[in-house]
Amino acid sequence: MKINYDIKDKFDFIMFAAVLALFTFGLVAIYSATVTHPTAYGNFQKQLFFGGFGLVIFFFIYFLPSQLIRLSAVPMYVLSIFFLIAVLAVGKVISGSKSWFSIGPFGFQPSEFAKIGLILFLAYWLSDSKRDINSVKDIVLSLAIGLLPIFLIILEPDTGTAIVLFFITLVMIFWAGISLFGLFVVLSPGIVTFSSLFGTASLIITLIFVIIALVIFKRNLFTSATIFVVNLAASFFFDYGVRFLQPHQQKRISSFLDPNADPLGSGYNALQAKVAIGSGGIIGKGFLQGNQTQLKFIPEQWTDFIYCVVGEEFGFVGSIFILVMFLIIFLRLLRLTSHTKDTFSSLIVIGVLTLLLVHFGINIGMNVGLTPVIGLPLPFLSYGGSSLLANLVLMGIVFNIYRGKKHYQ
Amino acid sequence: MNDSQIGSALREKIIFIIVIGLFAVLSFQLFKMQILDEPAYEVKSNENSVKKSIIDAPRGVFFDRNFKVIVSNKPSYTIEITPSEYNTELNPLLEKIFKLDKGYIQEVLYEKRRFSKYQPRRIKRDADIQSIAWLEENNGKFPGVKYIVEMQRDYSFGINGSHIFGYTKEISAEQLSLANDVYDIGDYIGSSGIEKTYEVYLRGRNGAQFVLVDSKQRTIGNYLEGTHNTKPIKGFDLILSIDAEAQKAAEEAFNGLKGALVAIEPSTGEVLAFVSAPDFNLSDFTSVTSQDIWTNLRIDEDKPLFNRATMSINPPGSTHKMLSALAALQEGIITTSDYINCSGGYQFGNRFFKCTHVHGKVNVITAIEKSCNTFFYQLILKTGFDKWAEYSSKFGFGSKTGIDISEESPGIQPNSEYYNRVYGQGKWTKGYIVSLGIGQGELSTTPVQLAKYVSLIANNGKTRTPHIVKGFIKSGTNEFTPIEYPEIEVKIDQENFDIVKEGMFKVVQGEGTARNIRIPGLNIAGKTGTAQNPHGKDHAQFIGFAPFENPRIAIAVMVENVGFGSTYAAPIAQKVIKAYLRINGNAAINQNIAAKELKENL
Repeated sequence: MKINYDIKDKFDFIMFAAVLALFTFGLVAIYSATVTHPTAYGNFQKQLFFGGFGLVIFFFIYFLPSQLIRLSAVPMYVLSIFFLIAVLAVGKVISGSKSWFSIGPFGFQPSEFAKIGLILFLAYWLSDSKRDINSVKDIVLSLAIGLLPIFLIILEPDTGTAIVLFFITLVMIFWAGISLFGLFVVLSPGIVTFSSLFGTASLIITLIFVIIALVIFKRNLFTSATIFVVNLAASFFFDYGVRFLQPHQQKRISSFLDPNADPLGSGYNALQAKVAIGSGGIIGKGFLQGNQTQLKFIPEQWTDFIYCVVGEEFGFVGSIFILVMFLIIFLRLLRLTSHTKDTFSSLIVIGVLTLLLVHFGINIGMNVGLTPVIGLPLPFLSYGGSSLLANLVLMGIVFNIYRGKKHYQ
Repeated sequence: MNDSQIGSALREKIIFIIVIGLFAVLSFQLFKMQILDEPAYEVKSNENSVKKSIIDAPRGVFFDRNFKVIVSNKPSYTIEITPSEYNTELNPLLEKIFKLDKGYIQEVLYEKRRFSKYQPRRIKRDADIQSIAWLEENNGKFPGVKYIVEMQRDYSFGINGSHIFGYTKEISAEQLSLANDVYDIGDYIGSSGIEKTYEVYLRGRNGAQFVLVDSKQRTIGNYLEGTHNTKPIKGFDLILSIDAEAQKAAEEAFNGLKGALVAIEPSTGEVLAFVSAPDFNLSDFTSVTSQDIWTNLRIDEDKPLFNRATMSINPPGSTHKMLSALAALQEGIITTSDYINCSGGYQFGNRFFKCTHVHGKVNVITAIEKSCNTFFYQLILKTGFDKWAEYSSKFGFGSKTGIDISEESPGIQPNSEYYNRVYGQGKWTKGYIVSLGIGQGELSTTPVQLAKYVSLIANNGKTRTPHIVKGFIKSGTNEFTPIEYPEIEVKIDQENFDIVKEGMFKVVQGEGTARNIRIPGLNIAGKTGTAQNPHGKDHAQFIGFAPFENPRIAIAVMVENVGFGSTYAAPIAQKVIKAYLRINGNAAINQNIAAKELKENL
């Protein structure tokens, strides 16, 4: 057997450079948003510390024997469920959500940990050769694996992370080979309820599309009728459920639908973020020179609204640079899926890709006013230790898979 | 390739399309916002920004018991420069007007050059009113220069009171994160004394103003005609039980000395005067407390920040003898007809406990009057250690008084349980407790505990928790709301109180140790004491009350490192009693002569 000495084949330098570029750009933006802030001025140093610590963990995981990752799948999932239950019992309430543990001076978010647990365990479960992803039993079970942590996270409540886990579950099941009809059955209730948010008219139109799809699939009448009733029930159940949402979440939904309604409330952030990005122009106003950022028009800008610091101070050029770095990461991940040595690894990579893609889409989407304000950080850029560490752990796992991949033919 | 296989080529293609699609949508949106619609956003960014500015609520004012203002607020003007609008050619002129060193503004601007140019820099605190008027007149000529008004504490009412009032400090990041909505950045928060205890009453509620500003921070107008604006609400005013005259006299009397004084109205527990010396100047804390002032106060060997009145613990010495007497009388162990012979000390086992001198035949009254140690060495053994400790605890020794100043020490009240813990079961003998009978040894008390104790004696076993704040006046009303304090009662027969009080009366008015503080026409009762100090000269103590017939003031005085109680501590008490009871003119006898006479007698 020949030993491959080519280091390029063991470490994806391009993807690594993209991650580092995003982290560095994030640091610059955090500095700009917090340097004159009376309470958050220490966040730059803290983020730098977490980044350094995260990279150590990243390399540690990179060098682990790859069997260890498979072995850790079950314990990680069990542990993350345990943490999610524990945080509901003894967690700390921060801005209306019970999602934090305090460990000395640091906080820890079990929901970040749950992302890792879910991806590993779902990959482990779906890659088992005994599974038939088109049998009703296995579809239900794999959905249940995802819905358990989602349910616990909704109780916190942390809508953003619940959405991320939902997409991870969905895409991994899709990746595992579910049939188009199966996918339709799983997906349609979600689409119907989402459209019901925009009023009765859009709900009826979506339901008509469901009927058309059912006609195309040509299943028997009983099956088709059942699916339609499930769809209808889901939208009513959701409409009823909205009333149980926290007031700040209800507000967020309504401010998404009409951001100008309450310029001092939750729509205020979305509006100010758009103004910040739009006024950045082609090359931006310059480092520390963005008046929206420096005059602190956007509260807590260094977390979910970090992208508008980039948009305002570095303009279109800086904003597109961030998009391109993410695009590089996404395409490298997608390419890696077809070269992994087993299906378990392939499923993990697609899980990580989904996670980053959803964070990316929703976060930048809300910064530019395309999606509602859902509390989701931008990976590698937003300030926050738990999220940065979780992302670097996942990258460590991905790079470990890269190290053990098949050689290109 | 089978399409249902994991990661089939078709599925890979679908995800590829989603990724590229998302990228395209976001890129297009950015292109639209930042390139096509940029001018519109630029206008929005420059004009239509709502800015919230905080209007500080003035803190509540302090009145003394006669509704005289003793702490108030005054406006203070701070000059700010916003670099984005400012022209540095104005530097020399501004430096002249605001009496700044030449080149100072340039220095400040250079130091903070890395901050945003939109962030105002403070160049002058406490600017005088003339320069503010001048700035107001020439408003348009100085772009980027403005002043802000902040409310400061005003302490110019002749009372220092640093350990009563305490100071306020700018709220820290942690405090801010704990108290969600109540505080704003830059608010001041009570950090010691009653400023801290009554923070909730004093702070008021900040107002807010929503204005439309442009990118240069120029105000364009009120947001929504000011309908969202709120006015600041002043904090509640506090009515203190302090008597300004007595407090002034007490502070003057401690000039140059170290120690503490607490005076209380015995029937109500209201604190009339409260001093811990040396103290510090509260006005040093009002605006910016420079690090130098802090460091100097912290490293000062005399510990001016230390609240001796509630925190310093010392043996009460002979001032505690009335307690031993009350315990023995109430338990029926002695009566006034029990006499002992003092031959200058007391032999217990192989140890000889000394008395101040040979008193001969003494009963409980003369023992208090002459402060005979021999009598009390024996008495604690007759009463029993734990019985004695039980009475002492009833009078509040060994636990905090609960005075409305948060920094307080409980002191130490030994009993057999305490000795078992410290020395071990059976490893201490009765010899250990003999000196407790005269208030020495492990027994340790604070001045405020002694004041509470003498109040209980003066008022025959009844008082209330010592307190400095009588009540408050809600902002916008003139209604006084009193604060209720818990009653304290020690059940001891009136005749026993009368016996002990007769002894205390004779200490001043008879042949006792504090004859030097007599005032014609007023009967004072008291007791001197000396706290043994292993680290240096003893501490002088005095507790007393007046008038004897109808006590209106009870007082405890402790002076550190001066020796005997009657020379230093008792005359201070006399001055405060005179000030509180408004007795004018000089004391009838010369204190120095009296003190000399007394020393010769001893």
